[in-house]
Formats: sequence, C-alpha cells, structure tokens
Amino acid sequence: MLGKDIYYIGVSPGGPSIDDSRFHVQVLDYADGVKMLNSRSIDLYLYNETAITRNDDRSRYAEGALKQYLTKAETTRMIVDYDINQSFPLRVEVIKGTSPAATPAATSIAATPTPAPSVDTSSAVLQQISEAQNGSSTKFKAEFVSDNEIIVPSLMTSPMPLSQVVLAFLYVVPMLFMGIFFNSSFMEEKTNRKLNILMSAPVTPLDIISGKMLPYVGFSLVVVVILTLILGGDVLLALAIFLPVILFIFSIYLIVSLVYRTFKDQTFFSMAAITFVTGYLVLPALLTGINNVSYISPLTLAVQMYRGESFGISEYLLSTVPMYLVFGLSLFVGTRIFNEEYLMSFGPLYRKVGDALYLAIDRAHPYISIGLLGLFAIPIVFMVQMIIAILSLIIPVSMPTMVYLAILLALCVIVEEVAKSAGIATLLENKKVASTKMLIGLAAASALGFFIGEKLLLYVSLSVVSNVVLIEALGSAGLLIIPLVAHFVFTSTVCLATQKLGVKYYPLAIFAGSILHFLYNFVILAQQMGMV
Amino acid sequence: MPGLKAIFKKELISVMKEKTIVLAILIQLLIASFSSVILIGLMSYYDPESIGQNSALHLTAGVVGESPLSGYLRDAGIAVVQYDSTGEAQAAMSAGRIDFIAALSPAEGGIENMQLYLPASDSRSTVITMMIKDPLSKYENYLREQNGIHVQYTSLKGRQSTTYEFLYTLIVPMLMFFPAFISGSMIIDSLSEEVENKTMDTLMASPVSLNAVLFGKVGAAIFLAIIQCVMWALLLALNRLYIQNVVLVLLLALIITAFVTFGSGLISMYFKDRERSQFVYSILIMAAAGASLFFNPSPISLMARLAMGEAHVGILDVALFTLPLIVLIAVFFLASRRLLAMKA
Repeated sequence: MLGKDIYYIGVSPGGPSIDDSRFHVQVLDYADGVKMLNSRSIDLYLYNETAITRNDDRSRYAEGALKQYLTKAETTRMIVDYDINQSFPLRVEVIKGTSPAATPAATSIAATPTPAPSVDTSSAVLQQISEAQNGSSTKFKAEFVSDNEIIVPSLMTSPMPLSQVVLAFLYVVPMLFMGIFFNSSFMEEKTNRKLNILMSAPVTPLDIISGKMLPYVGFSLVVVVILTLILGGDVLLALAIFLPVILFIFSIYLIVSLVYRTFKDQTFFSMAAITFVTGYLVLPALLTGINNVSYISPLTLAVQMYRGESFGISEYLLSTVPMYLVFGLSLFVGTRIFNEEYLMSFGPLYRKVGDALYLAIDRAHPYISIGLLGLFAIPIVFMVQMIIAILSLIIPVSMPTMVYLAILLALCVIVEEVAKSAGIATLLENKKVASTKMLIGLAAASALGFFIGEKLLLYVSLSVVSNVVLIEALGSAGLLIIPLVAHFVFTSTVCLATQKLGVKYYPLAIFAGSILHFLYNFVILAQQMGMV
Repeated sequence: MPGLKAIFKKELISVMKEKTIVLAILIQLLIASFSSVILIGLMSYYDPESIGQNSALHLTAGVVGESPLSGYLRDAGIAVVQYDSTGEAQAAMSAGRIDFIAALSPAEGGIENMQLYLPASDSRSTVITMMIKDPLSKYENYLREQNGIHVQYTSLKGRQSTTYEFLYTLIVPMLMFFPAFISGSMIIDSLSEEVENKTMDTLMASPVSLNAVLFGKVGAAIFLAIIQCVMWALLLALNRLYIQNVVLVLLLALIITAFVTFGSGLISMYFKDRERSQFVYSILIMAAAGASLFFNPSPISLMARLAMGEAHVGILDVALFTLPLIVLIAVFFLASRRLLAMKA
C-alpha cells in the first residue's frame, strides 16, 4: 500500500476498528472530534454511524475512502456472521443481447413466472464469496459480465482488466531487458571497433545484424514459452502474439544502437524507447473490451487470451502487422546504413535520420525507392496517429469539439506530410534531384506509395476500429476520400517549397503543405458533420 | 572551491549543447505527461461515479415489477419506465426506447432473483453494469434490512477517492523522483566516460581541484532534475491538478535527487566502468524504492502527504532527510580522490 497515513480521522468511542494503512485513527469524543475537525487536525469525524466532514475536497475524499473501506468491512461481516440466503438476498441473472427474434419466446416465459433457481444462485454466491476472500485477481479469469452470469451487487468487482494487463506486461519486461542487453552489446562492439573488423570480413550486413540479434530474440521467445507454461496459457497463441512484440522492441533497439555513438545518448534513447513501447503496448490494452481501439496493441490479444475470449484474424492483423513491418523496415534501413562512416559519425537526431533515409534510398532507382518509402512509412504514421487517436479518447476535453478535432487533425496532417516528403528532402539536400520535373515525379511516386499503403491499412483497420471520432474523421475526410491527386498536390507543395527555399527551410515547407492538407481535410470533415 | 562554478556551467552547457539529450528529455517529458494524463483519464473512466457525473450518458431503465429499486435507480439519475411484463419491456428495448431491463419477481424465502437484460455490445453493457452497481447495492441493503440484518455506515457519501489517491500517492512521487533517477544515470555516464577516455587524469592534474570538478558535474545534474520537477508541477497545474506545499515538495525532491546523484557518483568512481556501475545503480535504486515502502518515515509517503496537503507533515519531516544527505556528501568529498586513484 503506497499511501500511508494519508487521512487523519477520528472515531467516537466504540467505533469501528480501521485496519488500513491509509487511515491514521484516533478515538475522540464528540466535542474533541468536532473541534479537531474544524482546526483541520483531522479530516473526518465518524460519530457512531454518521460521518461529520468539513466542506472541502480533502474531507470529502476521506469520506469516500472510508466509505469504500467500511462497505468492504460490512460485506465481510455479512459473510462471517449470517447465512448467505439472508445476507446476500439479491441475485441478478444477466441476460445479454436479447434479439428481437427471441422476444416471443421470452414473452411466454415471462407470462409464467420462472421458478427461482435458488440452488444455482446460492452456489454462485458461495463461489463469489470465496473469490472475494481469496482475491479473484490471482486467478486471472474473466471479470467482465459474461453471458448469463449471476451478479451479487456487494460482491461485484470492478470491470478493470488491470490484472490481465499486468500479466501481459509481465511478458514485456524481460523483452525490454533483452533489448537493452542486445543494445549494450552492439554499442560495445561499435565503440571498440570490433564491428569494423566484421565489416571487412566476407559477410553481409544482414548476416551481422541478424546474427547478433538472433540469440536475444531466441531467448525472449524461450521466456515467453516459460511464462505461458507457468501461467497456464496457450503456448502457440502466446508465441503468435508476442513474436511481433519482440521483433518490434528489437527493431527499436537496433536503430538506437546503429544511430547513436555515445553511451550518454544511448541511455537516454533507451529510456525514451522504454516509455514509448510501454505506453504504446500497455495503455490501449487497458481499454480491452471497452473500446476497439485497444486492438492496436497486441497485448490486448494476450489480455483476451487470459480471459478466455477469442479474437478474429483481422484483429490479429491490425495489431501485429504494423510491428512486423516496422521490424522489416528497420532491418532494411539497418543494413543500408551499416557502413563505417555512418556508424562512427556524430550528429543531432534529425541529421542522423536524414542521412539514414538518404542511405536507404537506392540512387539508381529514385522513383521506386521514394514510392516504397511512402508505402512503408504507413505503419509508422499509423502508430503515431493511433497514439494521437488514443489521446483524443482519453484526455478530458473541455474545449469545443470542433477546435479539439482541428488540433488532432493538424497533428495527423503534419505527421503525414513529413512522412511523404522526408525522403525527397534528403535527395534535395544531397543534390540528387536534377530538375523540377524530376522533383514533381518524385512527389507523385511518394504520394502514390503512401496512397496505396493507406488503402491497404484502411482495409484492415476499418473492419476492427470504427468507433473513435478521429478514425471516423480520418476515414471520412482524409484516408478514404482524399484522392491521390490531393496527396500529390500537398507533397509537391512541400517539395517545391523545399527546393526553392533550401533544405534549411524544410520545416517551413512542411508547414505550408500541412496548411493546405489541413484545410482540405477540415472542409470535408465539416461538410460531413454538416457544419458548413 | 574556485572553478566549481566554471565546471557547473561547462557541464550544463555541454548537456544543453548535446541536442539529443535535450530532445530526449523533451520526449520523456512528453511521453510521461501523456501517460500520466492517460492514466488519470482512465481512472476516471473506470470510476463509475464520475461516469455518471461527467458523461452525458442518459440511461433509461425498463423495470418489470414493483420494488424500491425504481426509486434507487432514479436517485442515480437513471430514468425509469415501468412495464407489466418482460415481453413488453423487451419489445421496448429492441425498439431502442430503453437501454436495459431489470425484471423483478417476488422475493421467495428472503431471496430476490432478478433478471437483468443488457445490450449485446460489451462496452455498453459494461458501462451500464458500472452505473447500476450503486442502486443495486442499495436495493440489496434494503432487502437485507427486510431479512432483519442491519447494515452499518450506509449513510456515508463522500467522493470517490481512487483517482485522488492514485494521483498523489503514485503519480506525483513518481514524477518527482524520476528525474533523480535520470540524473544519477547521467552522472554515471559522464564520470565513467571521463575515466574510460582517460580525461579524468588530465582533470586531476589541472589547477581546478578534483572535488570542484565532481561537484560541478553533480550540481549540473541536480539542477537539471529540479528543472524537470518544476516543469512537472506546472504541467500538472495546467491539467488542474494542484500540488500542495509546492516548496516543500520541491525541497524533498531536491534532497532525494542530491542523495541519488552523489550516491551514483560514488558508485561510478568505485567501479569505473559504465556497464557495471549502471547495473549496480539500477539494482540499488530498485531496492531502495522497494525498501522505502516499508520504511517510516519514507520519502515516497512523505512526498504523497506533502503534495496532498496533509496537515501533520511539514518542514521538519523534510529536514530529517538532510542528515543522511550531509553524511553522504561528506563521504563523497573525502573519498573521491582515493576512490578514483584506486585500481578498478
């Protein structure tokens, strides 16, 4: 228990004994109790069965906490002191999803009152009592209202899937450690210049990278198997769920160790990566069963597995394909930037990313490369936009919906514009774009690649996630309707502006393109919502 | 110590110059701020009372049979439509006029078997179940009274305290102590880099005293941590979550940060290589954080109580933690040269 002595309360003589470290309890008579309450020495005074409070937040929270504690204590007293048929008199049978077709049958049942299945409900009460006493959270069973379940109000547990999420997170921790070990070992070989020796050996960069990664990945998989066996899950299913997670984590650490040279940078970026990965994986999983947006994280699938629920192939694809793709992409970029000059150079983040992009582009086939870059930027763009979408769901909104949506859209638009034009900008910087005609061609290739990727993604995601405002907004305004032409116009705006102003002003060019893109989206969205 | 200021400035500038680090701090702040906001949002999402209060969710219940439950449902802000038979109610539910059905049958032998018809959608029925938990409990207590069992303390109201406790006992201490953890890690990187690159020998030979160099480095790290803490306090305030006793909270964060940073300095001077120091440091930090939960006075619980505005803690409780800090600084001051001269 984290909170120790966070509430100071007084109880009248003969009051309940409160065995909870949150409360610091003093026995006081009425006069003292009220006096101390008013002098703020205590937050609440419990006089017999009534709570006397001050009119402030602390006092009210103290009352809420005390209420929660005493209700639980009373339930325990009910269990211990009385017969369950007397103390748990209300049993609620949950019947879910009454379809209209079933109505006539139900009417006939209702006409003749159902005989009370008292044996059945009593056993359900006994079972829930034993769960309440032993802590049902240790069993990791379904806590949600399943079909035709018996609810006993005072024994009802909160529907938060926290225990399963913690369980799923248990898998991620060793993976993160493996990732850090892999990263450290890679960094060490890099700084000791052992990698240089390997580079001169007759092996390909892919051999070196995968050879270094394989043992760590293998060990992570072993951990998954062992954990699943201990927890009693389905091993094959667990492997299918966690393999993409492992690959995703390793791709992040691979890029961190390839891009950074000093341990200082690397410590920071590893930490940033841990927070990012944890946030991306764990937070959506908390929404399991409440909102389908939770399917962007594979942990949701693990949570469902441990709840004994099933999920479809499209849910699996939505949550794991971006991770597989990010892995593939990072492996590809990793092999392209695997040369001494890049690995040993210093530079700020944008410089390193720019160089990496430049190296990833095949200068002999710029159009195809740029097109593919646009296509493969999709999973990353998707992840970033999903994070924005989740935030839109959760941050308590106090501004007008339109303003709020506009901010979200603007963020998404900027992400998209950067993704489409970054590759071309690096080509411009390295003077690889011969003419304006070529620039326009590249912009077209990038827009086409991005467009195809978008459609593919949409095909999967719309079938699963459909109830998030932003997804709907993007779906109706951006992703679905924005035709190829619009993408092309925005991207060429950014590219032309970059060409004319110079690469130094790339952010400005992005800003210009984003404004156009945003206005377009916003007008369409406003029309959709019937506001213009 | 002359030169201390110069080293402090140099270290701070070098950290600031390294754009990647500043960026990393920003990323970390951003992500962590999002995650805290998300968690707080989630807690209120799961908090049935706040769903009833905050959301514009208006539920309509179909009740079959006469019982006090209808009254309890109305008290909870749920509209109630009375039906004579389950069939009628189900027709209304399929037509979308009501959200759920509570079908009551007369109590038999003191036991009331009720049927609750919920929509097929998981998320919707979850919300409904959460919202009717309270009315159902009240009805259960009513039935208990009917059975001759008196349930005590049912008049208590108050405000749901989960989010409040979560915020002040977990999020605030975490946010205030996390920068300390980073600073410690930074000092290890910085010192072991100097040792590994043999630049420490040059520094030791320079006219600036060794301790001035070390204190400058540690000072810069502590300074950065405190800046982050101040930013956290501001960020929370922007989210309308106010930390009470801000000065004392920051003071406590400062003391703990100093303790961690000087401690990590000692560790890295002892082990001299980065990997081992970081490992030992991480283990010690985790052990210390775990142990402090059982300690009394514990910095984590003190932080929580200060931030909550608990009336029984004050400057003296904070001052208590300066004693071990002074001892540690003294050890650091006296042992630094010898530790560095020692072979790894």
